[in-house]
Amino acid sequence: MARIISFSKALNEAMTQEMERDENVFILGEDVAKMGGDFGITTGIWERWPNRAFDTALSESAITGLCCGASVCGLRPVAELMFADFITVCYDQLVNNAAKLNYMYQGEASAQMVVRAVTGGGIRCAYHHSQCIEPWLMNIPGLVIVAPATPYEAKGLLVASIRNNNPVVFLEHKHLYNVKGEVPEELYEIPLYEAHVEREGTDITIVAAMSMLKFAQKAADEMAAKGISVEIINPRTIFPLDKETIKESVAKTGRLIVVQEGPKVMGYGAEIGAMLGEELFEYLKAPIKRVTSLDTPVPFAPGMEDYVLPHYEDVITACNEVMAY
Amino acid sequence: MALSKEHLLKVYEDMLLIRRFEEEVEVYAKNGTIPGFIHLSIGQEAAQAGVVDVLKDTDYKFPDHRGHGAIVLSSKPEERKRCMSEIFAKATGINGGRGGSMHVHDLSVRNMGFNGIQGSTVVTALGTAFNSVYRKNDDVTVVFMGDGTLGEGTCHESLNMSATWKLPLVYVLINNQYAISTHYTEAHPQKQLSTWGLGYEVPSMTIDGNDIEEVIEVTQQAVDRARRGEGPTLIEMMSYRWQGHFSGDPAAYRPDGELEAWKEKDPLKLAKEKLQEKHGVSDAEIQAISDRVEVEIAEYVKFSLESPVPKPEDAVKYVYTDREVEGR
Repeated sequence: MARIISFSKALNEAMTQEMERDENVFILGEDVAKMGGDFGITTGIWERWPNRAFDTALSESAITGLCCGASVCGLRPVAELMFADFITVCYDQLVNNAAKLNYMYQGEASAQMVVRAVTGGGIRCAYHHSQCIEPWLMNIPGLVIVAPATPYEAKGLLVASIRNNNPVVFLEHKHLYNVKGEVPEELYEIPLYEAHVEREGTDITIVAAMSMLKFAQKAADEMAAKGISVEIINPRTIFPLDKETIKESVAKTGRLIVVQEGPKVMGYGAEIGAMLGEELFEYLKAPIKRVTSLDTPVPFAPGMEDYVLPHYEDVITACNEVMAY
Repeated sequence: MALSKEHLLKVYEDMLLIRRFEEEVEVYAKNGTIPGFIHLSIGQEAAQAGVVDVLKDTDYKFPDHRGHGAIVLSSKPEERKRCMSEIFAKATGINGGRGGSMHVHDLSVRNMGFNGIQGSTVVTALGTAFNSVYRKNDDVTVVFMGDGTLGEGTCHESLNMSATWKLPLVYVLINNQYAISTHYTEAHPQKQLSTWGLGYEVPSMTIDGNDIEEVIEVTQQAVDRARRGEGPTLIEMMSYRWQGHFSGDPAAYRPDGELEAWKEKDPLKLAKEKLQEKHGVSDAEIQAISDRVEVEIAEYVKFSLESPVPKPEDAVKYVYTDREVEGR
C-alpha cells in the first residue's frame, strides 16, 4: 500500500527491509550506526541490528576496501559516503578494485556492494561538499551509477542496487531528501539500466536526472501553455546509460536538451550528445543543448553559488532556441 | 622452533619449486614469450613458502605483486601449471588470460589475487577478515606487502581499523630492501619498518625472512592469535630480491657486493644446510627432490607453451554480472 513519505524515509525503508530479508546485508560508514548518519538516513538501523551497523574511522579507503573484500565473501555491504566529494579518497578501491573484481574473477565473485554517496549543490557548503561526481566514474566499465529523482525511485532503486551483483554508486541528492511522494510500503525493485519516460511529448526531449527533473517538469508545463509538447526522460541509471530510450525519444522529437547539475564539460550531457551525433544525426532538427553549471568549482557565497548552478530560465531559453532553429 | 625433518623437507621442496618456477618464467619473459612486465621473487622463497605452509585452504590470502611463489604454493598441485599459463597469457590460465602476472588468483583456495596498485589489497583484506567476524568463523586473512607498500596511506587506514576492531588479519611485510630503486631507509624514518605497527598497539616484529623455520614459527603464532580473535599482527620479514624490480631491470642502483652478500643468505641454501647438517639428509635425497621439481616444472612449461591463447572477443565478457558489453 502506498503512502506519502519523504525521499529520506524511502531510503531508510529500503535498507531496513532488505536487512530484514537478507542477513548478508549490513551498513557501515562514518556516523551511520549510533547517530543514524549525518543526514539521518540510517536512523534506527543500529538499534535493531547492533551487529550489522558499523561506525568507522574517517577512512573512506578502508570503508570501500572492506566492502570489496566482504562482498567477494558473499556479504552485501551498503556503505555511506557522507559527501560524494569524498570519493576522491577511496577512488582507487572503486575504480581499480570494485569495478574490476567480476572481470578478474571471471564471474565467480564480484563486488556486490553499494556506496551511497550524498551529492549535489545548493546547500551553501562550497566546493568540497557540493560536487556532482558522476562524470568522474562514467568511463569506468564495471561500475554502475544510479541516480533516483523521487521517493518512489529512492526505495525501488536502492533495493535493486543492494540486490545487484555489480558495484553500485548510489547518488542521493541533498535537495531531494525532504521531498515527499507516494511510496509502496512493501518491498519492490525498480530495474537498473532502464530510463523512465516521465512525460510523453512530441516536440522536445529533455533528459534530466535527480534534482534537475523538477526543472524539466516545470519547463514542460510552461512550454505546454505555449503549445509545445515536451517529453521528459529520467535516466535513473546514469551509467551504463539506457541509450535506446533516449534514442527512441529523440528520433520522435528531433530536439534534445540535457539538464545536468554539474559542470558542462564531460558530463552525461556530453555523452548523450556524442551518442546522438553518431547514431541519430539525420533525425536532429536543431542543435543539441546542454543546461548545466558553469565550469567552475562550486563557490560558497549564496549569490555566487546560485550564479554557477543551472538556472531554470536557461531551460526555457534552450526550449525556445531549439524550437526556433 | 626447529621443524621436524619431514616438515623441513616439505618446505624445502616448496621453496625449490617456486625458485625454479621463477627461473623458468624469467627465461620466457626475456625471450619475449611472456608479454608485459614480470616481477620475480627469487631470493624471497622462505617468506612466501613459510607463510603459505601455515595457512589452511579456507584462510584468505592476498599475495603481493612479487607474489608468484605464494600464489603457486596456495594453489592445489593440479592447478599450479595454470598459474604459469596465466603468466604466459594463455586461455588455460587460472584467470583465462585476463589478469597475468599481477592478478593471478584462485578462489578455490581463497587466493584473492593481487592488484596492480600498491596498498590496495591492505584495505581489501579488511573485508575478508571482517567476513570471518561477521559470520563468526575462524578463517584468517593474510595480506602480503612490501617495504614500498608502507608508503601508501591505505596502510594507516587498514592497520588502524583492523587493530580497533581486532580483525583476524596478519600483515606479512616482506622487506626486500628496495621499492624499485629506492632503499627503504631513504623513504621511511624507521630502521625497522615493523616499529610502524606499534603506534596502533599491534604486536609487531622483525624476523629473518630467509630462515624458513623462523618464518613458520612466527607466522604460526600470529595466525593462532588471529584465530583466537585477538586481532592483527605485523611481521616484517627481512629478505632481498635477487633480480631487478622487473625482469630486465639491471638494478644498477644497488651497491657493489650487496647482492653477493645476500646470496650467502639464500633461503634455499640455509634450509639445505640444516637438512644435511642437523637431519643427516644425504646428497642423494636432495637430488631426488630436485629431480621431482624438475619434472614438475617441465610439465608447467610444456603446458604453458602448448596452451592456446584466449579468444580476443572474450575480452568483453564479465565486465558486468548481468549485462553484455558491445564487442567490435
